[in-house]
Amino acid sequence: MNNSKNKLKRFGYYLRLWGIMTKNAFLVYTTKKILISIFMLGKLLRFGFFLAFLFFIVQGSGSLAGYSINQTMLFFLTFNLIDVIGQFLYREVYHFRGLIITGGFDMVLTKPYNALFRVLMGGADVIDLMTIPPLIAGTIYVGQQLSPTSAQTLLYIMLLLNGLVIATAFHIAVASLGIVTLEIDHTVMIFRDLMNLGRFPIEIYREPIRGILTYLIPVGVMITIPAKVLFGIVSPLGVVISLLVGALAIILSVRFWNYALRFYSSASS
Amino acid sequence: MKKFFTIISTSMQMEFAYRFNFIMWRVRNVLRIFLVFFLWDAIYSSPDRILFGYSRAQMMTYVFGLIIVNAFVRSNRSGDVAGDISSGRINVDLLRPVNYFYYWFTRDISSKILNLGFAAIEAALLFFLLKPEFFLQTNPFTWIFFILALFLAMIVYFLITFLTSALPLWHPEIAWGARFLFGMIFVEFLSGALFPLDVLPQSIQSVINWTPFPYLIFFPIQVYLGKVGGIVLLKGLLVTGAWVGILWVTLNRIWEKGLKTYQAYGM
Repeated sequence: MNNSKNKLKRFGYYLRLWGIMTKNAFLVYTTKKILISIFMLGKLLRFGFFLAFLFFIVQGSGSLAGYSINQTMLFFLTFNLIDVIGQFLYREVYHFRGLIITGGFDMVLTKPYNALFRVLMGGADVIDLMTIPPLIAGTIYVGQQLSPTSAQTLLYIMLLLNGLVIATAFHIAVASLGIVTLEIDHTVMIFRDLMNLGRFPIEIYREPIRGILTYLIPVGVMITIPAKVLFGIVSPLGVVISLLVGALAIILSVRFWNYALRFYSSASS
Repeated sequence: MKKFFTIISTSMQMEFAYRFNFIMWRVRNVLRIFLVFFLWDAIYSSPDRILFGYSRAQMMTYVFGLIIVNAFVRSNRSGDVAGDISSGRINVDLLRPVNYFYYWFTRDISSKILNLGFAAIEAALLFFLLKPEFFLQTNPFTWIFFILALFLAMIVYFLITFLTSALPLWHPEIAWGARFLFGMIFVEFLSGALFPLDVLPQSIQSVINWTPFPYLIFFPIQVYLGKVGGIVLLKGLLVTGAWVGILWVTLNRIWEKGLKTYQAYGM
């Protein structure tokens, strides 16, 4: 009883901390209004252009790997949801290299909070936050066209969260690799490029790429399986395996983080 | 000419100073090609299918053509100009006894040589791995027009990049934003660098054709594929030439005004 009370208190502490760090990050953005507007416009245009091209391509060809227009759109929207929420929450990872090479990470390690929490969630991205509501609305609209049952919808939400857990694991792994190799910028972009392959159902890829995207870099589990659950074409075993992959990914990434911390030499501080 | 080779040599050395960055950049390009290749591979699962006016071989050639044409047209260093303006580094460059546009155009050529070399290796490797059907153009005149379209596209892209890079002369804080919006969004989608533009309805294509973007990637590949010829080909080349003129005049005027406004905040 006492233990769970402590955990709840700890959760509240981190929630407040995240609120403060997010507020600070947003305050920085308010000084760059023109830049924010340009990036916002750019992101919306990129999303709109891609969606339009995809729509016309699938409309012209009839289907994509056996999936209808609405189903293909749902794959694309699911990818965007996980990608954008991941960027909103974990934008700070993109700045982590600076902390490592300047030795500024020393300060983070001495603070009375979990260093990994600060590295991952120390600065949410306001631009991505603004794109989340329309994305959710679009996903609900397209999802409704597919007439899923309540159970399928619940499983979709659950596997979407599982996809976010895997995205979290990837960001932890990228930050850990950053400590070991001092390289983050390209690693994180390559992760995003790999994730981009999940914009379409993984059935379009040939083996061995399909196998790699399913088991090794579980883009399929992150994006394709949640969408397929909504279509009602994933077995209960498939759902269980997906959840296990999510759990395994987060456990391994946290272990990697703990291992990587030993390589931090604080050389530049 | 000595200046030209000196800039090329220095620029190459600078590229190789960050070898890992360069290799990662090329890896990312290959991953992007994967996405487009497998999309069309799935759509053309039936080999005899003709969609949007393309046979399977023509579409696969379009995808592989993207590797080479992108490397030739879009590889550049002049995108760094925006950053140089906002940081104030441009002040040093403006004092050098070299024309500023000439300096960056030469650096772009250096980047193109390097990227083209790597792109050719990547295309060969991907061709070996994926074994796509390929349309080999055998008409020498088409090759001449293709190369001409490529050179014009290269100049148009240089001018667009420089124009967007000039915006920080007024607002130094938007250096990266302007490049993101024009270089990565408009050019990526409206030039045909991701998908051929003729998958879009005719009405949308007509609007896009009023912009310089389709003449960067889409038009040169259309020329290679032999999908445009005669009057249409001539019109396309003339329109690209006209864009070179319009953009050049605009750039000179904007640059002149911008330098008068520029206050070297970054220094």
